[in-house]
Amino acid sequence: MMKRNGILFTGKKVLLSLAFLSTISMLQLNAGEQFAMSDADRAMYKEMLENNPAEIYVEEGGEIFEESLGGEEALAKFLEVSEKDLPKYIAGFPRYIKKLGNVVGIDQVIQAMQVEQGKEKTKLKSGKMFSMLAYVKSLANDELVNIDVEADEHIKASYELGKITYMTARGGRGLSCNSCHSADIVGLVLRTQPLPDLGEVAVAGTWPAYRMTKSSLRTPQRRFQGCMNNALLKVIPIGSKEMIALEVYIATLAKEKNKKIAIPGLKR
Amino acid sequence: MERRNFIKSICAATAVAAVASPSALLAKDAPKGGNVLTYDAAVVAITGGKAVTDSDKVKLTVPEIAENGAVVPVKINVESPMTDADYVKAIHILTTKNGNARSADIMLTPMNAKGYFATRIKLAGTQDVVALVELSDGSFLRAAKPVKVTIGGCG
Amino acid sequence: MAEARKSMIKFKPKKFKVGDVIKVDFIVIHPMETGTRKDKKTGKIKPAKYIDSITFSLDGKPFTSMKVWETVSTNPYFSVNMKVPGKGKITVDYTDNTGEKNSKSKKLKPKG
Repeated sequence: MMKRNGILFTGKKVLLSLAFLSTISMLQLNAGEQFAMSDADRAMYKEMLENNPAEIYVEEGGEIFEESLGGEEALAKFLEVSEKDLPKYIAGFPRYIKKLGNVVGIDQVIQAMQVEQGKEKTKLKSGKMFSMLAYVKSLANDELVNIDVEADEHIKASYELGKITYMTARGGRGLSCNSCHSADIVGLVLRTQPLPDLGEVAVAGTWPAYRMTKSSLRTPQRRFQGCMNNALLKVIPIGSKEMIALEVYIATLAKEKNKKIAIPGLKR
Repeated sequence: MERRNFIKSICAATAVAAVASPSALLAKDAPKGGNVLTYDAAVVAITGGKAVTDSDKVKLTVPEIAENGAVVPVKINVESPMTDADYVKAIHILTTKNGNARSADIMLTPMNAKGYFATRIKLAGTQDVVALVELSDGSFLRAAKPVKVTIGGCG
Repeated sequence: MAEARKSMIKFKPKKFKVGDVIKVDFIVIHPMETGTRKDKKTGKIKPAKYIDSITFSLDGKPFTSMKVWETVSTNPYFSVNMKVPGKGKITVDYTDNTGEKNSKSKKLKPKG
């Protein structure tokens, strides 16, 4: 415990972070076992994945994507890759797309396709877009998360921005994503839930996911927003440079652990 | 100092509870409009007061700890030949502390070939899930298991 | 003027023969509203709306039925077994407490 505090004793807003850590450590280190999932439970939840209500939304997203935009064929053409290479390519998002001049997520690619085809743009924060995003990402199921942050200067810069966003302590409590998700903190229990290693749980591979507490399909950026809300950090807008950068950084965490794409996921 | 505020507001939403806190699904809090039926009353309604035997022929699978009380998987497998002469007529899923103790009833026929049923139910808090099984000969079997419901998490 | 409800019927395993016992899974998007929750915006209680009965039929003949209450999860899932008698069509008919009726079908295509 002391050593942990010692490591944190570098940098500003330390007093607050220290108090936070020793509080959760004291209160809930032992509670960890109490709330850990047994193997039998883990098996049950794995079975639930096979009957995920979100599959219905993914199927619906596929129908809309096919009918209104031309499906995989049109997507491959837009991204200038072959249909055969499309799944692997999708598994590397977010990406710098030259003709869009930005590092973008799959949802922004869908929007760009709509603009190119003279169709009405679907809002990023809409059920229709969440379904289409989930469908397109599911085309990459079983592929390894293969984001390449060295591919060009733009994705490199986005990765750096993402890392800074992840590590910067801000908000009323002086917390950063790293405060709860760093390697030495994961496993500790906060509010009955063990804090997860975002690479190990493959956030980048398993979101969009069906959230049981929300009974709906949720995207990773929306999940980040929920977390920011609770940690009293000012929420970053969906589709913004910083939010995409955060997705880029978090994708590298899954890549490091050789995680695969498996959409839709199933989460608490 | 700030410390106490930390615990309260790290996740601004709901209160920390390892054991269930009252929710609108519990009988005493159910406002008008919700179905209210206690576990005991439900059993009587189903069995008509007939004897119920605890049996390990009824395999009830539920999680020990439900990550989320809104979606708790329940799986039941009853050992039965499932022939016209001897089959599982119905499986009733009940809970001991929900305001409405009934969740779902399934009426099977020999075509089902197995005394199996699975679904997902809501649990207002830590309590037992009960499988009340009616066989074609009119007898009743039962299996019950406790499920701990944690209410918490961030986001 | 409601859109047909979204749902899915799945057979497990996907490939089977006549005489096999398969799993028939049904998932449906439905709020399963208990009638005890308040709408955060209006402060009013959201009226109860939940599936209350389901029937599984093969070529129009029911072989499994269910009674369901609001205590079943939102966007519910139901799973039963069935011995495959031959080719046919499985239909799931379901109604909710407000009288809304829906139906979903899937062809049963055993190989051999």
